[in-house]
Amino acid sequence: MPASDAFGLFGCGLLGLAAVATVIHRWRLPAGARYALMLAAAFAVFIPFGELPAAAYLRGVTGDLSVTTLCLAGCACITRLTGKALIEPRERQVLYQLLALAALFLYPFALGWTPFDPYSLGYGSIGFVTVLLMVTLAAWRAKLYAVVFIVIAAGLAYLAGAYESRNLWDYLIDPLVSVYALVRLLSGLRHRLSGEVTQPAG
Amino acid sequence: MTHGGWLRWGSLAAAALVFAGLYVRVITAPSPGGFAPPQTARVVSSAAPLYRAELLPNSTAASVHSATAAEISGGRLRAFWYGGSREGASDVAIYTSLYSPKEGSWSPERVVMTRELAQRQLRRTVRKLGNPVAGRDRAGRLCLFFVSVSVGGWAGSAINLMVSEDEGETWSPPRRLVASPFFNISTLVKGPPLQFADGATGLPVYHEFLGKFGELLRLDALGHVIQKTRLSWGQSSLQPVIVPRSETEAVAFMRYAGNPPNRILVIRTSDGGAHWSAPVKAALPNPNAAIASVLLADGRLLLAFNNAEENREDLSLAISEDFGDTWRILRRLEGDSSSSGAPVPEYSYPWIMQDRAGDIHMLYTWGRSRIKHVRFNTAWLERRR
Repeated sequence: MPASDAFGLFGCGLLGLAAVATVIHRWRLPAGARYALMLAAAFAVFIPFGELPAAAYLRGVTGDLSVTTLCLAGCACITRLTGKALIEPRERQVLYQLLALAALFLYPFALGWTPFDPYSLGYGSIGFVTVLLMVTLAAWRAKLYAVVFIVIAAGLAYLAGAYESRNLWDYLIDPLVSVYALVRLLSGLRHRLSGEVTQPAG
Repeated sequence: MTHGGWLRWGSLAAAALVFAGLYVRVITAPSPGGFAPPQTARVVSSAAPLYRAELLPNSTAASVHSATAAEISGGRLRAFWYGGSREGASDVAIYTSLYSPKEGSWSPERVVMTRELAQRQLRRTVRKLGNPVAGRDRAGRLCLFFVSVSVGGWAGSAINLMVSEDEGETWSPPRRLVASPFFNISTLVKGPPLQFADGATGLPVYHEFLGKFGELLRLDALGHVIQKTRLSWGQSSLQPVIVPRSETEAVAFMRYAGNPPNRILVIRTSDGGAHWSAPVKAALPNPNAAIASVLLADGRLLLAFNNAEENREDLSLAISEDFGDTWRILRRLEGDSSSSGAPVPEYSYPWIMQDRAGDIHMLYTWGRSRIKHVRFNTAWLERRR
């Protein structure tokens, strides 16, 4: 199997496992049962039943998922299983904001409504790489290491040609993680607003 | 050093290395070249008018569509099309047949790709197959691009590429081309690929997700998309066909899906495809249908199109001596009283090419039930009717 197919299937399978881990977490099972269920889920996701494994069905719908999605899915699995948070809330908040900004810049123009196509910058643009460098340095200065590590992982995967795509955008962002980030930001905003409204005066 | 120190300075060092790699990748990328010069070694065929027409074999499929072809060794033609119980059905497969100009006949069709095989080899779900497009890369290998859909209708399409080292007898497993950030959906192909001087292959594609617009992909020798250029934008242009005439100059024609008047769209480039003019409507009509064009060995531009604004019943040929500024309609291939009609009066999706001997070949969908091949020469085109 080509490495790009293996990596693509792994990413889709990992997302499936993150969903399973989230469900298992709500059942409040003992640690042994949680690990056993995750192992069973891994078999169900990656071992072919019939022609294709379950991960391939998801891959047919979503294509290859970005490294950012993989990092978040991997962290979700570990957090749900062990209870240990790998990304601080402050880092998550900034990551969601960056993803939302990137999505708002990328996707509307990629629909072809204007001659400008930001997606083509991902094939090799000094300007694009420089903006990404500035964002990474700012994150490093603010000690937002989760953001830094996600950019490093995406950059490494891109340089290694891990996916079928040769576009850097595809390693950084995908529609799923963009929608997830927007939903989390809006949900946080709604909670903040409702908290302000219900807070007693004085 | 403390754990925090390792984290801080280690992450900075790793980021520095990765960004060094990214900058090296960008800086060392070869600068895109212009179009490869068009082949000029063709011999113009004999002065005697030549016209032959036949239907390609079809022993199984109730519905066939979207023919494409490439010239292979010995002056033969290898054609591809898709067929099945109906367009978009899960039993649609891509077929091939071989034409021998000496015998003037086509071989029995055979399947080169099915939905099941595509699904297995692409390692993801595939619901249906669509348009195939044939061509050659700079290494001379036969390439077959084809559309597949995993979810939804044609707006959910993606393009796949497989190559053959033996003129289409055997094929590599398909490779998925990634050309859109939206789950890589909504990229389709209809026009022939072209060559760039730097060895890259150009593939005109179009998108149908919320908008309808064309793009030109650049593929490296392994079939990865390494750059793309927008040909048009908005919601009314699709199926670009690009015809270069020099390293810098090309004209492209596009199917029009907007408000009347329904006309063929034309765009041009004068810098090897890096930038394209805004689409303008040509004088020729277009009933939201595919167009085909070829630059003839004598420098004239030949266009196959449906000569009507509302239906695909009239399939005609027009010629331009000024690279697409003005047109003269020369022949009506389908739609007049003398042509034998198909059960469904639709003659569409033309594919046109000139072989090395100078003969012109045209393939098109004949009544959705067969693919028709018409072979003619310039003497027949110009002969008074």
